[in-house]
Amino acid sequence: MSSEEWQIVWFTAWVSALSTVVILPFGLALAWALARRDWPGKSIVETFVSLPLVMPPVATGLILLQMFGRHGPIGGFLHDKLDLDIIFTWRAVLLALGVMSFPLLVRSARVAFEEVNPRLEQIARTLGASQWRVFFTITVPLAARGIIAGMILAFARALGEFGATIMIAGNIPGKTSTLSLAIFSEVQLGQDDRAFRLLGVSVALAFAAVWGSEWLLRRNRESK
Amino acid sequence: MKPLNSLCIAVALGLCVAVAKSSAAEITVFAAASLTDSLKATTAAYEQTTGDKIIFSFGASSTLARQIEAGAPADIFFSADEARMEDLDKKGLIDAGTRKSRLGNTLVVVVPADSALPIKSARDLASDAVKKLALADPKAVPAGIYAKAWLTKQNVWSVVEPKVVPTENVRAALAAVESGNVEAGVVYKTDVGISQKVKIAYEVPAADAPQISYPLALVKESKQPEAAKKFLRYLAAEEAGQVFQRFGFILLE
Amino acid sequence: MSLLLKNISLPLASFTLEADVEIRNRVTAIFGPSGAGKTSLLDLVAGLRRAPSAFIQLNDRVLTDTARGFCVPTHHRGIGYVPQDLALFPHLSVRQNLLYGWKSGGAIDPLFAFDRVTDILEIQPLIARGVRELSGGEKQRVALARALLASPRLLLLDEPLASLDAPLKAKIIPYLARIRDEFQIPMLCVTHDRVEALTLADEIVVLVNGKVLQTGAVLDVFNRPANADVAKLVGMETLHPGTVTSVTEGLVAVRVANQTLTAVAPAQATREVFVCIRGEDVTLQRDSESPSSVRNRLAARVVALRPEGALVRVELDAGFRLVAAITRPACEDLNLQPGLAVTACIKAPAIHLIARE
Repeated sequence: MSSEEWQIVWFTAWVSALSTVVILPFGLALAWALARRDWPGKSIVETFVSLPLVMPPVATGLILLQMFGRHGPIGGFLHDKLDLDIIFTWRAVLLALGVMSFPLLVRSARVAFEEVNPRLEQIARTLGASQWRVFFTITVPLAARGIIAGMILAFARALGEFGATIMIAGNIPGKTSTLSLAIFSEVQLGQDDRAFRLLGVSVALAFAAVWGSEWLLRRNRESK
Repeated sequence: MKPLNSLCIAVALGLCVAVAKSSAAEITVFAAASLTDSLKATTAAYEQTTGDKIIFSFGASSTLARQIEAGAPADIFFSADEARMEDLDKKGLIDAGTRKSRLGNTLVVVVPADSALPIKSARDLASDAVKKLALADPKAVPAGIYAKAWLTKQNVWSVVEPKVVPTENVRAALAAVESGNVEAGVVYKTDVGISQKVKIAYEVPAADAPQISYPLALVKESKQPEAAKKFLRYLAAEEAGQVFQRFGFILLE
Repeated sequence: MSLLLKNISLPLASFTLEADVEIRNRVTAIFGPSGAGKTSLLDLVAGLRRAPSAFIQLNDRVLTDTARGFCVPTHHRGIGYVPQDLALFPHLSVRQNLLYGWKSGGAIDPLFAFDRVTDILEIQPLIARGVRELSGGEKQRVALARALLASPRLLLLDEPLASLDAPLKAKIIPYLARIRDEFQIPMLCVTHDRVEALTLADEIVVLVNGKVLQTGAVLDVFNRPANADVAKLVGMETLHPGTVTSVTEGLVAVRVANQTLTAVAPAQATREVFVCIRGEDVTLQRDSESPSSVRNRLAARVVALRPEGALVRVELDAGFRLVAAITRPACEDLNLQPGLAVTACIKAPAIHLIARE
């Protein structure tokens, strides 16, 4: 593997990890709200959160392109006020990965929160703990395995993201080229041996991620 | 007339139409993305007169060549540069006897219609005002290869290369400029006519640009070689030539 | 101490919980059958549930006042809660559980010092263990200690003895009594068990289908139930409609089925009554001749015998269904068997009459 190829692997791994970390607070907050609270329009929120899971990724990418492009509502603001561009930069990769893996994290975390006995949270409150303290000392530790499994799933999804990424980040060598984008373009160029090397790394990473997730779930089942 | 009789006549007529239709051919043309509008315009009349149906697959010539290599059912390949055609020729996939260099083109630098960026030469693309430049992938797609050749000859490629946003084909580069997400792009002059959202900032003089040549040929594996050859002859003839000229292509002799 | 529950109205699954009581005593039992809304009432006091209408005041501090839109959040109420399933935190050690509510960085009332609490509840050897390693009784004591270590002003207990077997109940009751005596904090216990209520509480609030039917000292309520529902709850096993036929000098003759009984006239004399007799107040004899002070001597036939520990509940047919509770040795001495004819004796003062609409 050339240094260029390793750069692609390294970039893919760290931007996937970063996207998982960035979506974590939002994902947990939303998962908790969905698990513990009810409000008018809750089902609409649930549907929107699940959309990236069922829509074609390029369609999601197109929506992101419209919103974060220089003429879009969010992209325009960032460009004009902060001189910050998203499209065709590594930030677009982060955005695409984050958006596509968000629903997986929320679903796993929500189930994990729902399995925490609410009585435990209530008793913690009678013992004088504020909502935040209850969340961090009772709810999250008891939901930890499910949350971690969700994070691993999100990470794995980010590793393999293609459709939305190619839409808003392009495949700029050295800047936004991820494993999946690189494999695609190497095949286009007829560079099959490079493509297969990258494919091998891709499979190894995905295998490790899913195996880790299954192992955690097994441990969870056994300890119950 | 008795209902059974009219039914028989209807069935017979239907069969005649079906037989007549089956003698009309369906030809698949793999063509460079920059030929999208012009090629579609040439075929309207052709389909009416001959009854043949032309199906197009437009894309980057490099992608299309790969697909033909992999056995895609193309009858005709119309590439944006000689190298892709040469590649298929060496692999024995095209009928060399039908190969003909048909069209030329001009490279232009385009900017979003509302842009005030002054670009008067290749050197201006190296300036900091141009943060991102959209090109069809210079590693494989003819439009990008031509652009890279031009910028290399002008000695600015090394400075410009880090700013390049490679796109899948030349129309995607055009779209990137239209969206405003890049400051400029290099596309064919013939691509600009169809878009309201970009304007030409600089036309690359023929002396600076590499030789641009669009060859076409019959794919050897074609299932409809006679009908395909007929269409090839039509494309080489004057009527089609006028259409191409109208779109801004240069006719090669 | 005073816990004021006024204008409580909370719609539940099949009825609305309503209450308007003032609780003044040290240990009060909320007594009623399952599903009466007892746990919901505790949840309201603890601030874990909100009611459309409620006014809750503990001593001089208003905790909930829906009229003013005022509600102190749970974690500021200082009310300890031991739920029925104990809710020990499974991911924390016993020590971490105990110290969860501990208010560090402030003056701790020596009453609730760590060593004192763990000593009184005898859980010191358990402190280093994990929660899963504890037995049922140990978990109970840890849950109690945890609530106490948060220095509560009021302690809520939901069915503290319900999930324990008889020997364990007997073990835990002294600890509860100790809490009552050593910690000087009022306790509100929910229970559906008569014996628990009798043993632990000074005062009792009877809650049936979300309505408070009676409040008062435990023995008062048990001996003088206000109506038929309470009577059934507190264990007046014999309960029949009857008609008062005459009233003479503070005694009434009341007709039940085809028998006439003599009872002490109730405060409010009505014609239609419910006749309530506790099994413990019925004596059985083989013969009926020797004179005694008992006014009511009924010829009865034994229908069934139900042993209950040291007692036997004897179901009789005296013209109406009558239950007598006698000791097992007594049952054997009399050689009681189904079908046997006996005389059932009921003292007049033991027949309790409740007005009937």
